Amino acid sequence: MAASPHEHDHPHAKIGDADRPGYYDIMETAVRELLIEKKLIGADEIRRQIEVLDSRTPALGAKVVARAWVDPAFRARLLANGRRACEEEFGISFYDDTQLIVLENTDRVHNLIVCTLCSCYPRPVLGLPPDWYKARPYRARAVTEPRAVLAEFGTIIPDDVDVRVHDSTAMVRYLVLPRRPEATENFTEEELAALVTRDTMIGVVPVTVSKEAKK
Amino acid sequence: MTGSEHLVTRLPNDIGGLSADRIEQIDHELAPWEKRCHALADVLDFHKIINTEEKRCGVEALGAEMVANLTYYERWIVAFSNILFRKRILTPTELAKKNG
Repeated sequence: MAASPHEHDHPHAKIGDADRPGYYDIMETAVRELLIEKKLIGADEIRRQIEVLDSRTPALGAKVVARAWVDPAFRARLLANGRRACEEEFGISFYDDTQLIVLENTDRVHNLIVCTLCSCYPRPVLGLPPDWYKARPYRARAVTEPRAVLAEFGTIIPDDVDVRVHDSTAMVRYLVLPRRPEATENFTEEELAALVTRDTMIGVVPVTVSKEAKK
Repeated sequence: MTGSEHLVTRLPNDIGGLSADRIEQIDHELAPWEKRCHALADVLDFHKIINTEEKRCGVEALGAEMVANLTYYERWIVAFSNILFRKRILTPTELAKKNG
């Protein structure tokens, strides 16, 4: 900011403490600037990576799911090697060193993903995880009482369907391939993708068709 | 049994299987500094300066009290600072001066 005389007595209500960078905000800036000064990282790299992060949303995962529903050969490739199939079919770059295992829900098996130790998540195809995924209740309980956890999301899994919980790691990430809803035979791939939400690919809810979308 | 075994067998991050509250479906838009912090983590990983496991371990090393009281990205940036000190990439003095 330019150094200009600023001698009047009105209070700057909008530029109070709340707008001043906080302790951790300043720490982030300091660490980043020191690393840039030492030429260990480039300023451009941070900006570019923010763009990459912004480009990753559940809409990307939804496209992958819809393609798997309409194209059995792609579905097979996706289940065999999730990362390679996403890279080859959609040009989705996996900017981290992780593998992607895609878990298919069927009438016999319902899959759920969690990271009990922290917040590992299939970021290249879903973006950043929601806060509840990173919070203690979900991480603690998903592995031992998944049906109770699912019920809190409004999802009741019949007793004769296995619930499988997959605990992510730094190197291995999971994506749920949800079941295609019934009565969607006439949907285009794009219309199918529009039905697929983030939470369906975490495995906490099924894909549903709203009344308006039915045709 | 001395009653302290759980401190040894369960590090602060290791919470899978513990009892916990109902799930509140909370989320928030990241603040700009939180997003920068996430991008910084990715870039540190690309350069093999701090990888994902080192980051997780660095958060663990903050201890239960900090893990419980700092927010997600607050834990990350404090863990990065500590790891960078330990690796002799930054010194606490440099960071203190830069922090102003």
